[in-house]
Amino acid sequence: MTEANIYDNTVDQNAKDAYFTASQGQLIWTRFKKQKAAMVGAWVLVFLILSGIFAPFLTPYDPTIAGRDKDYLNGAPTIPQFCDDNGCSLRPFVYALERSRSAKTNFRWVTTINTDKRQYLEFFVEGSHFKYFGITFNTHLFGLDEGFVHLFGTDSTGKDIFSRTFHAINTSLAVGTIGVFIAFVLALIIGGISGYYGGWVDSFIQMVTDAVRTIPAIPLFMALAAFIPDTWSAEERFFFISIILGLIGWPTLARRVRTHLLTERNQEYVLAAQLCGASSGHVIRKHLLPSFTSYIIVDLVISFPYMVLSETALSFIGLGLKDPVNSLGVMLQNVTSADVLLNYQWYFIPVIFFIVLVMAFVFVGDGLRDAADPYGDTKK
Amino acid sequence: MIQFLRFAMTRAVLAFITLCFVSFIVFSLMELVPGDCAERYLAFKNSQGAQISIADIEAERVRLGLDRPFFERWVKWIFGAFQGEFGDSCILRLDISQLLGQKVWLSIGICLGSLAVAYAIAIPVGIIAATSRNPFLNNSLRLVSYLGLALPNFLLALMIMLFSTVMFGNSLTGLFSPEYRDAPWDWGRIKDFLSHVWLPVFILGWSATAFAIQTVRALMSDEISKLYVTAAAARGVSGRRLLMRYPARHALSPIINSLGFDLNRIFNELPIVALILTLTEAGSLLIEALARSNDQQLAGAIIFFLTGSIVAINFITDIVLAIVDPRIRRSILG
Repeated sequence: MTEANIYDNTVDQNAKDAYFTASQGQLIWTRFKKQKAAMVGAWVLVFLILSGIFAPFLTPYDPTIAGRDKDYLNGAPTIPQFCDDNGCSLRPFVYALERSRSAKTNFRWVTTINTDKRQYLEFFVEGSHFKYFGITFNTHLFGLDEGFVHLFGTDSTGKDIFSRTFHAINTSLAVGTIGVFIAFVLALIIGGISGYYGGWVDSFIQMVTDAVRTIPAIPLFMALAAFIPDTWSAEERFFFISIILGLIGWPTLARRVRTHLLTERNQEYVLAAQLCGASSGHVIRKHLLPSFTSYIIVDLVISFPYMVLSETALSFIGLGLKDPVNSLGVMLQNVTSADVLLNYQWYFIPVIFFIVLVMAFVFVGDGLRDAADPYGDTKK
Repeated sequence: MIQFLRFAMTRAVLAFITLCFVSFIVFSLMELVPGDCAERYLAFKNSQGAQISIADIEAERVRLGLDRPFFERWVKWIFGAFQGEFGDSCILRLDISQLLGQKVWLSIGICLGSLAVAYAIAIPVGIIAATSRNPFLNNSLRLVSYLGLALPNFLLALMIMLFSTVMFGNSLTGLFSPEYRDAPWDWGRIKDFLSHVWLPVFILGWSATAFAIQTVRALMSDEISKLYVTAAAARGVSGRRLLMRYPARHALSPIINSLGFDLNRIFNELPIVALILTLTEAGSLLIEALARSNDQQLAGAIIFFLTGSIVAINFITDIVLAIVDPRIRRSILG
């Protein structure tokens, strides 16, 4: 045997050792990394989540009416550029906007672009205040000293769509997270009881779950959402909608929790542990839960886009979140008029973000599901 | 045969219990909503200039039977519901069964139509996707079915509508042309109906198709790798015959089983799509009942109808499965 061969064998052995001693998390991660689409989805997702969380810093303006540009309503995107007829500059700039009216414009306010006046983009400018962990900041990643830059244009009240979109991602993710969390807790309790006790308790809970599953959730919760008093503040609405979404989502999750518990409970390794004299607490902590968490995480990721979609649907028909709050549903609601399609196409930019967000979640969820399947490798 | 009838009876009783239970949930939720019908009606009168006192509200409550205990009212409601009597709408003061009339059947018909379209597309496409080794075809099918999820129905409806408004000057809304709206059913009306109904069917079917393709594909690829398929192939069965006779038949029963929940998903989207396409004949009545007028009785009746049709579908699929799937038939006949 040559030296190289021995060396190969040890490498092989090391790889095998690594494989057999790897934790479930490591195995899932290894399998997950192999899937290109899922990895791309994961990067996009991380990017979107981070940009949602740091939206106040990344975007130049306050997304509410306070940050509006009152001189530029329904304004087209202003794209920073480096060069124009007057020559190039190293710093990107946008043209100044001037709003005027005169006999020439029939005394209507008209916004004109002054191509001779450049406004240079600045980084780390001071702007509207926002809070993280109780500390107030007012530095924004970019902005202008004077005038406004609107990467995605403005809406009918002059709010910056770029700022609104990123804040909307944040809100929608938050609503989804709370919704998934509530659904998850309910599912864990109900599915857990059902799966753990089995027998008639299980049959009864399954009957109830099935009955709940036959109710078309959105129409029903539209009925409930319709009764939110108009006097409620944006935050109260926000929490109410999240709770509703959680209540919509639990039956499917509960069923999965139950199925996992039922199948895992009867596995041989559980029996083996019991025969070795392990207490049921030990079995649950050391054997059942680890076998189980990865599946649950996968289920949560998969159910996340549905939460975001439901929020969007509810907000879209005007029963969910409303205007001072920026959520993707509210943004989508704005594109419904023909006026927008014909004249103000930049209203559709948030739609792209919405689709990308949902797609990213679906790809990651799918990839995770494949990765979490321990027999995924052997099948192919 | 007797065993089969007994099975069907048990299923029917179970379906009935489910329906009662669901109606109880719906009824209780409607009950939780602040303000009752008497208050709302008299508030309306008040806004018309009439002087209303607390005693009037109480009298109205007694007249409507709202002073009775909750459970008694539910029993009364559910008895009426099974006979097709839902009482009067709280706001519109019209008989609900008359108000809903054929609208409910039209909506349910549209939903069933889109479900049928979804599976008519999904079953062949899903089978192809599961068997094909062409990565381009597989990936593009995957992308399309993901888009079916990520591009919500209402957005699609909106885009198609606006597109056709711009291109053809026809917004494609509604279910009937004006001249046929109240006409009796005849050939012309049916043609008119069909020329309008394809759009809601397509839009509602859009995401249902995407889901169905994924389900069919997953089920098929699970079955295809099983040993009995290999065994059949070894015996010389091949091509379409192999697929249709072995894995496709196995994959079919879970699909039949989940039809009810697919219908549920379509119902979820119906009101929103109906709102955009202004299908006053269908689910937008629900939105109107809920969002505009807080009409509990009407909303309850509509949700009862929707749930009822899902329970009915579940019942039918159970029976059909017992007939077509020998494994289940065996387990019933013992």
